[in-house]
Formats: sequence, C-alpha cells, structure tokens
Amino acid sequence: MPNLSKKTALYDRHSALGAKLVEFAGWMMPLQYRGIIPEHQAVRQRAGIFDVSHMGRINVEGTDAEKALDFLSTNKIAGKQGNSATYTVWCHPEGGAVDDVIIYKKDATHFFLIVNASNRQKDLDHLLANTKKFNIAVQDRYATDGILAVQGPQAVALAAPILPQVQEVPSMHFVETVYEGDSIILSGTGYTGAGGFEIYGPNAAIVKLWDRLTNAGIPPVGLGARDTLRLEMGYALYGHELSDAIAPVESVSAWTVKLNKPEFLGRSALQSLNQSPLKRSQHALVMVDKGIPREGYEVFQNGQKIGAITSGTQSPTLNQGIGIVLSKKPLQPEDIVEVQIRDHAAKAKVTTLPFIGAKK
Amino acid sequence: MKYTDSHEWIEQSEHVATVGVTEFAQKELGDIVYVELPKVGKTLRAGEAAAVLESTKAAADVYAPASGTILEVNPALAQTPELVNQSPEAQGWLFKIKLSNPLELDKLLDLNAYRNKVTH
Repeated sequence: MPNLSKKTALYDRHSALGAKLVEFAGWMMPLQYRGIIPEHQAVRQRAGIFDVSHMGRINVEGTDAEKALDFLSTNKIAGKQGNSATYTVWCHPEGGAVDDVIIYKKDATHFFLIVNASNRQKDLDHLLANTKKFNIAVQDRYATDGILAVQGPQAVALAAPILPQVQEVPSMHFVETVYEGDSIILSGTGYTGAGGFEIYGPNAAIVKLWDRLTNAGIPPVGLGARDTLRLEMGYALYGHELSDAIAPVESVSAWTVKLNKPEFLGRSALQSLNQSPLKRSQHALVMVDKGIPREGYEVFQNGQKIGAITSGTQSPTLNQGIGIVLSKKPLQPEDIVEVQIRDHAAKAKVTTLPFIGAKK
Repeated sequence: MKYTDSHEWIEQSEHVATVGVTEFAQKELGDIVYVELPKVGKTLRAGEAAAVLESTKAAADVYAPASGTILEVNPALAQTPELVNQSPEAQGWLFKIKLSNPLELDKLLDLNAYRNKVTH
C-alpha cells in the first residue's frame, strides 16, 4: 500500500538520524530519536529542538482583522499589544471547540495564527465561513513554511550565536527578522513549559536552521516527549482535552474564555453551559497506587462513575502516573478517585496544574 | 528457547518455563516505565494476556506462550522496569510458569523461524 502521509521538509533528516517515524494527523513525524525519557529530560534540564512543521500558519490581514479574530476567539484579541501572541480557543456556535490556536498580532491590521496539524483545513474553513461580514484577507502558508520549536532553559543561550535576536524576544511576544535572505519569525512561545522559542519561516530557512541549531549541540526531540512535556504542564491537546464535543469552559483551557467580551462565536452557548448541571470539568490526577492512567480509562468516586481520562502518561519528571480526567462531578484538590486500569481500580489524587513548576 | 508471533520468548526447564519478551519487542516498545505482572498462583491458557508492559507512550499486553500456573514473577521489575529494555532475554524476564501441557511448546517458533519473521 502506498504511504500517502505528508512529509515535512526535514523528513530526510529524521530518517538519517534513525528516528522512529509514526503517522500523526496525516504526517510522517518523528516519535523519538534516542528515547522519550532522555529527550524529555534534555528539554527540562537543558534544551531540545522539535520539527513541528505539521502545524500550520495562516495570515489574516485587513482593516477588520482584529475584529474578525476577536469575534472567533474565546480570549480577548482586540486591544492586544503589537508583536504579542495570545493562546485562545475557537468555538462552534453550539460551544464545542473547533481548535485551540495562537494568534499573533503584528499591528491592528496584520495578524497570523498557528493551528494544529489535525485541524489545518477545518480551521481555514471555519475562519472563512464565519468572517464573511469582515473586511479581511486570509492566506495560508501551509505549502511553503515550516516550524521549529527550540525549548529548554538553555535554548536561548545555545541558539544566540546563530540567532542573536532570540535574546530580545519576551515570553508570548515575537520579532520578525531576516535569516540569510529569508523572512522568519522568532516567537517566545512553546508547548513544554521549559522556556525557549519557536521559529516560523520558509522551508529552506527551516532546514538550514535545523542543521545549525543541532550542530550547536541542541539535540532533536520527537513528538513522544512533546506529549509528556505538555502533559506535565497540563496544556490541552486538541482531540483529547478539547474537541467538537468538549467546550472550552469544561477544559483545562477554561481560563481563555472571557465572557465579559460583548460578543464571540459560541459565547451564548458557553454562558448557558456555565449555568447547566450537565457542565463537566477537567482535573489533574496523580496516581497514588501503582499504574499509569491512559486515555479512555474510566474514573470512579465512591463507586460512582464520574468520567474518563483524556490524556495520561508516566511523568518522567515525577516518575509517577499523571492524567487529566473529564468529570461530570466537580472535584477538589486532595479528593481521592479510582482509575479503572484493566481489571483493577487504582487510587489517584486530584491535584492542581501544572503537575510540575514552570520555568521561564 | 522458543518464540511466539507476538514476540514473547519461553525457555523450558522440565515442567517449569521462564517467559519474557524479545529484543525486537523491547525496541519497538521503547522505554518501559512500569510492568504489571500476574499474581502467583494464577492459571493461564496459552495466548491469554498475562502481563502488561507500559512505556511512556502506551501499554502493551504480554501473552502466555503456553498454558500453566504462575509460580514466580521477577521481583526486580517493580523497582527497575528498565531491565526489560536493558536485558529482555535474561535479567528482564517476566514470570515463571508451571506448564500444564509442555507439548504446546512444539507449536511455537524456533530462533530461525522467529528471526525470519521479524526481519521480513
């Protein structure tokens, strides 16, 4: 059977490095190079570089760009500083999540977004279908651009000889610069909680920068460690903590929802859901008994089923099973619940996010 | 030593056999962070799920290559599950089983047949 999965511009580099390649959202991506645990620890302790070119960038420009993006977003976009980045959820009118995205504002009429690999087309369709009354121009950079995430407490210092401008990028802000003739963006964002930055640019520049940053001693890290790193921080992964059937107010990304905004797509649905006894909530669980919670495992409290795990793993930092539960019943820190792991119920304790302290 | 299609090995010594997973299996699974072993005294049929190896990424079942009763489980794996990665066919053994029908082993793969399977 032919392999129809897409490949990033760095596919040959991953193959040559001996990466274990897996299909993810239609892309052949590196799951790991040396192993998830050493790669995870490299990012927590020092630095690592990820190819995340499966994610997409969309430019949104025009006199109504700010209004249009504010209308689509649960978080406040209007009035943000120039060169800032804002994490937000996009909702269906019924309240379910379309995607979670980061919106970058250059100025009041120039924005771009980074969207999840699994939702590239869906987000473009949603954006175009719901902004017809606004004067905007939408252009995706899917075919031409790539993305690198350089993460870890020493990421900036190790990259500075190659990209001196990274030293001037504050957290949740970005700068535009030119690297050997190509326009690139350096952004103080990431998905690991370990500090560092991301690079958005044309594929030719992305490949050159991958080579130079890895030669500078920043080891490649795969999607396996990306997932354990984000879960230790309690960051949502679309398809797990957020989905068409999970509203942002029920999720770990509930903090993005600014109901004091006069209007945004899904606002009235989220407002009603907040009053409803059917509203669910997500909570952090750390295992007390042995075992590792996994997506889909059922969770009980006092013999009553309250929900299921949306993401779970063994935390390489804590060396303990951690997970997020989507619960019908509100839970409090220190509450004890049972996770059904195969044929036994294993005790877990409700805790607060992040599972580990963030560095930045 | 005999092998299964599902990447377990079994080594028989009279009516007792030791079971583990192959080098190929540990590589595919990645870093093992937790091992769930059967209770001593549990009776298993050949092909039944006997243990679970959990990597950072996923949980994988280990199947009993032959029928019998669990006599002993590897005590070292509770503290050092990584033995399954470091030494899958020696110190990383999983359990010992008292065979109820040693003839079942005749149906399993020998080393050459197993090697052929994993290299093709």
